[in-house]
Amino acid sequence: MDRIPILRMGKYLLVTIQVDMHDRLAMTLQDDLTVRIAETQARGVLLDISSLEMVDSFIGRMISNIAGMSRVLDAETVVVGMQPAVAITLVELGLSLPRVRTALNVERGMQLLRAATQSEDPIIYEDDGARIADGGDGSSPP
Amino acid sequence: METLLRRIVETGATIAVIDITGVPTVDTLTAQHLLKTVTAARLMGAECIISGIRPQIAQTIVHLGVDLGDIVTKATLADAFKVALSRTGRTVARITHP
Repeated sequence: MDRIPILRMGKYLLVTIQVDMHDRLAMTLQDDLTVRIAETQARGVLLDISSLEMVDSFIGRMISNIAGMSRVLDAETVVVGMQPAVAITLVELGLSLPRVRTALNVERGMQLLRAATQSEDPIIYEDDGARIADGGDGSSPP
Repeated sequence: METLLRRIVETGATIAVIDITGVPTVDTLTAQHLLKTVTAARLMGAECIISGIRPQIAQTIVHLGVDLGDIVTKATLADAFKVALSRTGRTVARITHP
């Protein structure tokens, strides 16, 4: 049975859908991807659907599910290269993927992913710094 | 809708400004269509800013119960353009002569 390859690029996983998605393939991808995220401790998933010409409600839900599962596993998902027809279909199906990040192409998607995951660490430091600063201000009067 | 989405792909735009200054009235269908267009553009990775909503339209939108959610709306095209520039890290400034 054929599978959709999941490539690892450092902290991220790259999934490029280049064949017609059928339901079995989608389910296999879901399984494989969740296993790989857990295995590799990936921080982000880039789902390239630029070759996907058509979607149905099942595939639409699968995209949404993949994003949801990745989030649970602490990986950001960016869906890139969605075709206009696919976007229209998903909207008409009521699948507006509210919490999924999207980008026009792989390059922009990668930028977004880097920004999303790199900002995690500095923000924590900044927060700590702010808290220390606040603590310093609070403790300085007495 | 399709025209906008196609142009987004062609130009690789990250932000689309939809100016509806010239639209006098909006019905449920139009509002819903506008909303769908914005959502579809977002799915493709472009953000939409709606500008120039007339008071009448604002009333209609609220009365119809259309939820614009987290869509950015601006009063004028200039404001929308300003937001678009700042989102892309650009600014327009007056040159001060020494």
